[in-house]
Amino acid sequence: MLRGVLPKRLTLVEVVLWALRIGVVVFVIVGAYATLSQNKLGASGWVLLTTSGLSQGAIYALIALGYTMVYGVLFMINFAHGEVFMMGSFAGMFVAMAMSANGILEDQPLLALPVIFAAAMITSMLVAIVLERVAYRPLRRAPRLVPLITAIGASLFLQYTAFGMFGPRARRYPPVELLQGRVDLFGFSFQRIELITIIACVVLMAVLYWFVERTRTGRSMRAVSENKDVAALMGINVDRVVVTTFAIGGLLAGFAGVLFSFLFNRVSWDMGLLVGIKAFTAAVLGGIGNIVGAMLGGVALGVIENVGPSLLLLGFDVPSSHQLKDVLAFTVLILVLVFRPTGFLGRKDNV
Amino acid sequence: MGRVLGKRTRHAVGIGLVAGIVVIYLVMVGLANAFAQRPAITGIGVESGPGLLTLGRVMIGGAFFLAGLAVGSRFLGPQDRRERLLAVVGGSALTGAVGGASLGAFMLFAATVPMSDIFLPVTQGAVSFLAFGNPPEIGAIAWILIGTLTASAAGALALLQKRDRSAVLNGIAFTLLVSLIEPILRPILGQVGLREVTAFLYSGGGLTQHAAVFLFAGVVIASWAWERPAAPVRMRMRQMPQANRRRAGLAFAVLAIVGLLVLPQISTGFVNQVLVNVGFFLMLALGLNIVVGYAGLLDLGYVAFYAVGAYTMALLTAPTSSLGGPLTDLGGVEYGFWLALPVVIIVAALVGIFIGAPVLRLRGDYLAIVTLGFGEIARFLLRSEAMRDSLGGPAGVVGIPNMHIPFVGTELVSAGEYFYPVVGFAAIAAYVAWRLSNSRTGRAWNAMREDETVAAATGINVTNYKLLAFALGGTLGGLAGGLFAVQLRSVYPDSFLLIISFTALAIIIMGGMGTIKGVVAGALILVGLPEALREFGEYRYLLYGAALVAMMILRPEGFFPSRIRRAELHEDIEREEEPQLPESHGGPPAETTRGVAVPDTPR
Repeated sequence: MLRGVLPKRLTLVEVVLWALRIGVVVFVIVGAYATLSQNKLGASGWVLLTTSGLSQGAIYALIALGYTMVYGVLFMINFAHGEVFMMGSFAGMFVAMAMSANGILEDQPLLALPVIFAAAMITSMLVAIVLERVAYRPLRRAPRLVPLITAIGASLFLQYTAFGMFGPRARRYPPVELLQGRVDLFGFSFQRIELITIIACVVLMAVLYWFVERTRTGRSMRAVSENKDVAALMGINVDRVVVTTFAIGGLLAGFAGVLFSFLFNRVSWDMGLLVGIKAFTAAVLGGIGNIVGAMLGGVALGVIENVGPSLLLLGFDVPSSHQLKDVLAFTVLILVLVFRPTGFLGRKDNV
Repeated sequence: MGRVLGKRTRHAVGIGLVAGIVVIYLVMVGLANAFAQRPAITGIGVESGPGLLTLGRVMIGGAFFLAGLAVGSRFLGPQDRRERLLAVVGGSALTGAVGGASLGAFMLFAATVPMSDIFLPVTQGAVSFLAFGNPPEIGAIAWILIGTLTASAAGALALLQKRDRSAVLNGIAFTLLVSLIEPILRPILGQVGLREVTAFLYSGGGLTQHAAVFLFAGVVIASWAWERPAAPVRMRMRQMPQANRRRAGLAFAVLAIVGLLVLPQISTGFVNQVLVNVGFFLMLALGLNIVVGYAGLLDLGYVAFYAVGAYTMALLTAPTSSLGGPLTDLGGVEYGFWLALPVVIIVAALVGIFIGAPVLRLRGDYLAIVTLGFGEIARFLLRSEAMRDSLGGPAGVVGIPNMHIPFVGTELVSAGEYFYPVVGFAAIAAYVAWRLSNSRTGRAWNAMREDETVAAATGINVTNYKLLAFALGGTLGGLAGGLFAVQLRSVYPDSFLLIISFTALAIIIMGGMGTIKGVVAGALILVGLPEALREFGEYRYLLYGAALVAMMILRPEGFFPSRIRRAELHEDIEREEEPQLPESHGGPPAETTRGVAVPDTPR
């Protein structure tokens, strides 16, 4: 049976890859067994980790949609998408601060929150559109690495723009009572904001799915992602579709930005990079270019990142294993790209 | 409205608005304010203090100047002399006025609606600085006038002969540069004992008025004379026999080396530290250049090698580290570094192979992201509590002994003393990189970068050459890290941020991928200049970002491109745009390849 799997001649690279595969599997099994047999966290502990993983994952999924849609249409990694998310979060914070100063946020939170979200979404959308117009459109036909380097440059530029304009200190949203506190459900106690995040993201993703599958614009997006030149021949305005793609990605990122900052109570100029890379990981995990895949990948990554460190490392008595969640996320990124670059649902030709 | 105005007017207004937006951006992001107190030319307008012409204002004026230049050179159309004068000067004046008016409107807005809660740099102080200390209305009018004047002056330059124009532009650029490098040049001149020259050139952080006029006039005349159709200097150089020319080149090289050797002696500690930092980044960029520039593998986690080198050196030589500095025990403080150095190099090369092996089959952009993942993992591990016992956690490793010169035993302490080994190792790295680029290996990398499949078909072992690139690139990065650790005498995880990878990337993109000259120039400009200009601070990364975007769009081959690279990039664009070009045509037109034979790469 192994004849088909193993190559005829084992090269150094093959050996390294197989060692990696086996090592990962062994590590996961041993780690999980060690932790679970010692029963360090009760059931409620695991459930809480899973919910925070789900809520974080839902946010990753929203951002990952931006990566995956742009990749689907242009075959480029929009490295600056994390900064689009960050800009939205800042915009939402400034509106929230202004409304908090007037007392609107406390008196009419149901009226104020949509305004905050709208401000963030519109800002992110504008940043994404300008980004596409200024940085990416001139390079539509350049060799593949050129737009990636441009995107890195744009990411640096946006980060340090926020650094200069909004200052180096991390800030926070004014507290909203509606989003705080805990909810008891199924015998467990959840944070309210986590549940709200999950629900909001699910609704938004459903809307997006409907948009892409059922509307005319969505259909032209799918056509462009299939084949740009043929789509243009069919009378589709490719430039407009690309802009729409960036705009939708921006809207979702802005929404995610506000949720993220309510969840972690933090807004800073450097928040975009790490979250952006993780969202990209989620997009790859689900299969880049695939919208449902991005949603699945986001949720999976969120759960892996939150449950994983405890599950794999607690048994070995690693001190503050939760610090290693980022390491785990990047390890997932590397493993997926090396061993299964198509992700869960990706198309072969995208890789 | 657009119809009525006519094409030219619309164009001029458009560029003026762009200039206005750029200037407002500079103010809002705080760059103009950061340079507010730094005089470009001291004492203009006032007797004491930084004067009116501070770098912050020069920056704004510069934007209007460039806008005027752009408009002027585009409006040269009309044949009639008077009509042309009107078009050029009028157009650029309009551009400047629009730009100045935008800034003025912004000032009025900022003065009435305080926005420093959101945009921290837009304080009332900043607005008042913009308005030259006057009420914002007067400031706005002043900027409209300044914008009109600078832009129309710049536009008028377009009317001049090319030689005259470039002479004036050179004069302006050189004068500004001398003013910019005041923090470097002034202490050096002081050390050499040229106090009179210093006093003539600088006062209060900027150029004196006399010096500015003198420098400007001098450069204009020199540049003008050099560009003369049959300038004696140029002619004589061109007519020089080959042997003489080589001798002149050799003399120049000797002079440069002597200059480098003397430099740390005549400059201050601050300048030396800047130079040493430039050296570290030079080594990093040379190593990254092997991976990215030669082999075409975009490695975004390059900082991992820097970290590996630094931590290996620290663990092996610092007595307080978890390993207890075994090589310092073995060789004493004198030889500890030199014993550790080969280990550092080997470890870095092995890490290069370890990182390279799993990612070999990935396509370009995925490879970039995976290597970025490796770089981030390295940093998180270094910082984590889990590895605290072995790597020191956030506190890092301290107490690395200083480098000693072998056999002599002199201990190196100051940055000025470390300058020599850093330059020495950088020179070795540059030599290795240069030899590689012209070797069989270098050609194999070239072929691989252009088309992997074809390279493999011609018998190049792509796997091995890729691993070799990773290993060699890693070696240079590790070497830089080892030297960095010794010079700093301590290592912290926060010294190894992703931004270091991006800085090295910006250096090789700016200079020109694949060339050593470009890497050196890039390191000096992108690392040396912002470090010397303390006002830049973190804004330098803003500059890197803008530079990466602008270079990729306008000049992807860099300022000092290798000829192969340039041909490649332009060929690619050419090919994509003209797919109907028959293959039998004999490749792209000669003009794009600049006479370099580039193998026709089928896709």
